Amino acid sequence: MPVSRAFGKSLLLLVALAALPRAARAEGGVAFVHDATIYQDAKEGALKAPQGVACTENGNVVVADTGNQRLLMYAFKDGRIAGGTELKLTQLTRPIRVQITSKGDVLVLDGKTRKIVKVGANGQFAGTLDPKGIDDAASVVPAAFKVDGNGNVYVLDAPGRRVLLMDSSGAVSGQVAIPPEAGTITDVDVDVAGTLYAIDAVSATIWSAEKNAKTFKALTKSMKDRMSFPTYLAFSRGRLFLVDQNGNGIAIVGVDGSYQGRQLSIGWNDGLVYYPAQLCLAPELGYAFLADRYNNRVQVFSTGK
Amino acid sequence: MTKRIVLLVLCLAAAPAARAASAAQPSFAAFKLKPGAEGKMCLDCHPQFEDVLKKPFVHTPVRSRQCAGCHNPHASSHGKFLAAEGGAVCQKCHAGVVPAAVKSAHKPVADGKCSTCHDPHASGFKFNLVKGGNDLCASCHKQIAEDAAKAKFKHKPVADGCTSCHEPHGSAKGSDLLSADVPALCVNCHKTDRQVFVKAHMGYPVAKADCTSCHDPHGSDRRGMLFNTVHPPVAKANCAQCHEAATSPNALKTKSTSPQLCKGCHAQTLQAMMDKGWVHRPVADGSCLACHGPHAAKQKGLLRADMNQVCGKCHEDTIKRQALSPTPHEPVKNGQCTKCHDPHSSDQQLALVKADVVETCGTCHDWLKHSSHPMGEKYADPRNKNLTVQCLSCHRSHGTEYKHLIPYATQSDLCTKCHEKFRR
Repeated sequence: MPVSRAFGKSLLLLVALAALPRAARAEGGVAFVHDATIYQDAKEGALKAPQGVACTENGNVVVADTGNQRLLMYAFKDGRIAGGTELKLTQLTRPIRVQITSKGDVLVLDGKTRKIVKVGANGQFAGTLDPKGIDDAASVVPAAFKVDGNGNVYVLDAPGRRVLLMDSSGAVSGQVAIPPEAGTITDVDVDVAGTLYAIDAVSATIWSAEKNAKTFKALTKSMKDRMSFPTYLAFSRGRLFLVDQNGNGIAIVGVDGSYQGRQLSIGWNDGLVYYPAQLCLAPELGYAFLADRYNNRVQVFSTGK
Repeated sequence: MTKRIVLLVLCLAAAPAARAASAAQPSFAAFKLKPGAEGKMCLDCHPQFEDVLKKPFVHTPVRSRQCAGCHNPHASSHGKFLAAEGGAVCQKCHAGVVPAAVKSAHKPVADGKCSTCHDPHASGFKFNLVKGGNDLCASCHKQIAEDAAKAKFKHKPVADGCTSCHEPHGSAKGSDLLSADVPALCVNCHKTDRQVFVKAHMGYPVAKADCTSCHDPHGSDRRGMLFNTVHPPVAKANCAQCHEAATSPNALKTKSTSPQLCKGCHAQTLQAMMDKGWVHRPVADGSCLACHGPHAAKQKGLLRADMNQVCGKCHEDTIKRQALSPTPHEPVKNGQCTKCHDPHSSDQQLALVKADVVETCGTCHDWLKHSSHPMGEKYADPRNKNLTVQCLSCHRSHGTEYKHLIPYATQSDLCTKCHEKFRR
């Protein structure tokens, strides 16, 4: 075979392989294609076991660099990540999950104090988000939380087996009970219609509660055959993205409970993950940010707009 | 008239026996054997069965020389020319040995492996059992039998025979093959209204409590057959330290709940746990009783069961990974999770007990510290600049589907992840 023909065939194969993830998108699926990796801060200091990452559609990215007990602020634009300014607060001893509100404030769950710490837009400590207006407020121990576009905060009170709905001041306006059969709920999220979703990591079962419902109901059966230990849940555009911590991947499930596939796998090279933690999706940007915990980095994946 | 009634009664009485006999020889007639050839013909070629037939307990079809009751003399798709697979042959006559609505079933029965316990031809023991008395059960349940034999305080029914409490095939009424659930089974012998019982339980109304949450039914070294690990307040008979007074209408109610109740004695321990960087979810939630029993336990640390069971209740996927691994990792296989992990809290990644991975693995694998492959903080992982080379760079400690706990099918697949120039 002439060299040029062989080269042509190889090129064709490469083009076909490169087009595969995009083909998955064209069929309506979501494909995570590795785009960039955050390994260091602005001063080239390495990340250490980051568990949290939050993002906005205008490209603000906040990383909870858990092992280094700090937050890192990045800007993501045109497929490039820049910045990495460190923010250390004495109130943040172990930042594990982070959210950015519609006003640009940062809320951080501290794994040690079990408090949700408010960080103002200027990087100052702005107090803690403590529940108000319920008799047993003192017994609330947040295990996870999410914010919606209206500034509402949904706090998973693990020992209380409930999700508290509160405003940005902590005033509780409602609560949804987690039934005993729901096992160990590790995360919660809310869709645009106000339906809450929760994940039981042990049985890999998704629970849901429609807006104003008083208790969660099982949305799926156990999906243990599809995932190992899903600890994080993110809603985006009609889908639920489950971070399978021990299975090292992302499972995708429809809001009707239908299993839609799986992305990523275990490994240490770029594009592979090792005990992933928080996932942030920015569908308008067409990117997803994943705290790749024991790979000591945050990875950026193109997901398509 | 009277004669006719007697005849009818005799016929009716004989019907089940006739049915059983026909079930035992379903295909016998089909072979059209010559008169007198039944069984005898088989013994011509299988003379060793002459000795078998001399044993005290001979299986009915064997005794009646109906070999074709279980075997097909011409051809079979099953081993030993059986007319059907394993237990299915036995089921033809012994369909009723397992209750229809079974609450617990014995594994060999569920697996159709009747010959694990029974000799299908003849035996020296009743019911054609392959061994007599508790020896048979001890063939599989060795640890229980050994512990029971060594126990300082023995439970009489254990000596009388396991079937005193357990149904050998399946139970419709109890878990663990128990002929009834606890405490219903226990109170058959231990009358709860007797003064000696009331006194032993400090007057607390335990008649409906789960006896096996404190007592080892197979015997123990503690008086009262308490499990060998006893919570000090129980050992000191100081129930009121945690519970309402015995005279209270809610005597069994605890004075407060976990973790507040546990903090009464273990405040410093709990605080030390909470001070670490990572806290295990049950600890953070204050669910001490998720893993520990409050009264007595067979396991150290009052664990509710062995670690594979306790930890596996939530981390089933991890335990399963080891079960499927061609290379076993001893601590995981043996349920020694705490050899590597701190079950309460840790400042290390993966909740390790030691400062780093190499040191943790080095507890057992001392040679690894001197392995020819560079390892440690000085050596960056070529795949990821924020990592250094350590044991978990190549191995997954709970096992993989591949040998040597590696995450890839072959060693070359593994090595060339870093040593790319050797990739083919």
